[in-house]
Amino acid sequence: MRKSYLLPRLILLALVWAFFFFAFDPLLKWGMIKGVEKGAKAKAEIASLHTTFLPPSLKLTGFAVADAKDEYKNLLEFSELAFAAEGKPLLEKKLVVDKAALSGLRFGTARKTSGKLAFVKEEPSELVEGFKKESRDFALDRAADVKAGAVEDYKVDPSELGSVKLAKQLEESYQKDYQDISARVDTKKYEAGLEALKARYEKAKGESNFAKQAKDYADIGKEVKKLTADFKKDKAEAEAALAKARDSFKAVDEARKQDLAAVMARMKLPSLDTQSLARMLAGPVIAEKTATVMKWVAMGRKYMPSNSKGVLKNEARRGREVHFPKAESYPNFLVRTLSVTGELGTEDPLEYKGAIEGLTTQPQVYGKPTTAVIKGAKGARRLDFRASLDASGAEIKTDSALLYTGMPVSQLQLGSPSSFMVDITGGTGAFEGGLKTAGENLAGKAALRLAGASFKPKADNIKAAPLRSAVESSFAGLSSAYIGADISGTIKDPKLSVNTDLANALSKAFSGAMGAEVKKAQAEAQKKIDEALKPYRSKLDDTAAAKQAELGGKLKEAESRISGLGDGLLKNLTPGKMKLPKFKL
Amino acid sequence: MNPIGLIRQFIQGLTSDTDPRQIGAGIALGFLIGLMPKATLTAQLLIVLLMATRVNIPMALLSVLAVSLANPLLDRLSDPVGYALLTSEALRPLWTKLYNTPLMPWTGFNNTVVPGGLVLGALLLAPVYFAGKRFGVFYNEKFRERVMNSRIVKGLKASWLFDWYFKGAV
Repeated sequence: MRKSYLLPRLILLALVWAFFFFAFDPLLKWGMIKGVEKGAKAKAEIASLHTTFLPPSLKLTGFAVADAKDEYKNLLEFSELAFAAEGKPLLEKKLVVDKAALSGLRFGTARKTSGKLAFVKEEPSELVEGFKKESRDFALDRAADVKAGAVEDYKVDPSELGSVKLAKQLEESYQKDYQDISARVDTKKYEAGLEALKARYEKAKGESNFAKQAKDYADIGKEVKKLTADFKKDKAEAEAALAKARDSFKAVDEARKQDLAAVMARMKLPSLDTQSLARMLAGPVIAEKTATVMKWVAMGRKYMPSNSKGVLKNEARRGREVHFPKAESYPNFLVRTLSVTGELGTEDPLEYKGAIEGLTTQPQVYGKPTTAVIKGAKGARRLDFRASLDASGAEIKTDSALLYTGMPVSQLQLGSPSSFMVDITGGTGAFEGGLKTAGENLAGKAALRLAGASFKPKADNIKAAPLRSAVESSFAGLSSAYIGADISGTIKDPKLSVNTDLANALSKAFSGAMGAEVKKAQAEAQKKIDEALKPYRSKLDDTAAAKQAELGGKLKEAESRISGLGDGLLKNLTPGKMKLPKFKL
Repeated sequence: MNPIGLIRQFIQGLTSDTDPRQIGAGIALGFLIGLMPKATLTAQLLIVLLMATRVNIPMALLSVLAVSLANPLLDRLSDPVGYALLTSEALRPLWTKLYNTPLMPWTGFNNTVVPGGLVLGALLLAPVYFAGKRFGVFYNEKFRERVMNSRIVKGLKASWLFDWYFKGAV
């Protein structure tokens, strides 16, 4: 073999080897850092990354990603991630890892350098901003000056009321929903189907072959029953959808309460409603935690296939891929078990360990949900986290529960410095929360019980001395508290309902000190809001009632027509009498 | 193949391996490769075959390029053929066995345009070869000398790097 033939090939081999030896790991590390930075909108670091080809493995050490909201804190960090891929699935273009290990996972650790990325700005969460504003604007400073006629001069502008805006919006969406629902119930389709069956019946009636006629009649009968059953199902679905659309009107009542709190705030008067007080006190803290959870949920869902069609659809750029039964089917990427160890909290950290099972990009192929179980204990502290993510069906379902008891609470601030604040120090907390998602819908509960803590109200902004002292004394003897939240709505638009017994204490203090005057002012404000809202609410209710009656009438009429046609056909579906041969005796 | 090797083969092919049969075979093989999706083991094996045989490389590469550009149209023929083969009940055991064989998924055999393209390519291989052979005769008569005397080829042949790399093969 000539040297001129051999040399270029050897050079090429050397180049390929040099690429993988010198450039592959740094390039992969760079790509991973950039990918994480894009997702987290903050700096990410990887101390080292090492891959091998035989066996295919990856070892990553010193990973940290900064918190976009706090440049000197890490969102999370871990000391090592290691896994080795199985060889056989690689021959089928699949990356399957039986056991992976993630160690030293910690959250909220301090950074020495800023984690802020240039030209990247974290968009503030609407939920958090809304609660912060509500808390900031909570008015207490004029409570002492409230007079019986103070509200009389105040004019409520309907266009500024959230409840009015919502009523208008709901009316529009109701009209649209109604159109969609009535378009979905296509009665003509069923009538045409029954007419076609009637024509088949007429044809079968003339059939001389008794057996064939009986078979045709049986088939027609089955189809008639199926058609009428389908219509009934569509009808029930349409009625349920319309009722559900009407259910959303309840949000107007919630908006009305918020309008009252806003009007009271504008008049610099406090609201006595415990819901508003709870929102003012615990809302910002809970909203911030909820927004963080929602961010993680949204990020997780972004990388999850939306449904089975999303994964098993034609994935080839050209042509179509035909799939055959597999003796052993692997998803394109699967980590069977990822063991996790780490610490929770920065001061006196709690060690935990657990495992995440069934991490895959093709849950439909894997057929099992991804599950996580993390546990930790230290003295009186207990951590128990369980989560499951099921994307093997048509919609993604998640179910997670966290229980953390004996949690030390060094400092917790509730409320806003511009209105009223409570500093909670010392003591221990027990957190219990659960969150379920199905598709876009959310449902969850969270409760934090504080015990043995000291509550210090910061009531400097309350100028009225009797009210200030009432507030301070209401918190003086407290050592425990309950803060709870219910979460509902959708992932994009979560709704929070906050409640706390601290709000009850505050409400009692307000009522005791100057409740009568404030209550009178509140009733006056409520009256004005209701008057402004009345025409819009009536219009909304009238529209809903009219549309419901319209659809009900249409469906009833169609039902009687379809049932009449169907019943008529079913009655006739008895084979003709068989003519028996005559015998002469 | 590395880019330098590709350029080497290309320039070498313009001036050597220009027998009409070699040109015809290059065009036919290029036609077959052009029909395949390139990110499959089947296409890569055909490229190895192309490089390993003494066919005219530039013509093969031009043929690959031309057929690849016409893929959206040719897929309309190869896709139904491939689909019919892949969904044939008689061939189902074979496909299932291949599907469960290691490495076979890398060949992309379960993509309709791969078996369809192979069948279409096999059917048209002979006509394309003969047409290519006739084109080879025409190329040798009209263009070969012009290419040999072109400034690019002359300039390349004059460079010391080229001379060292090709060792006078051109």
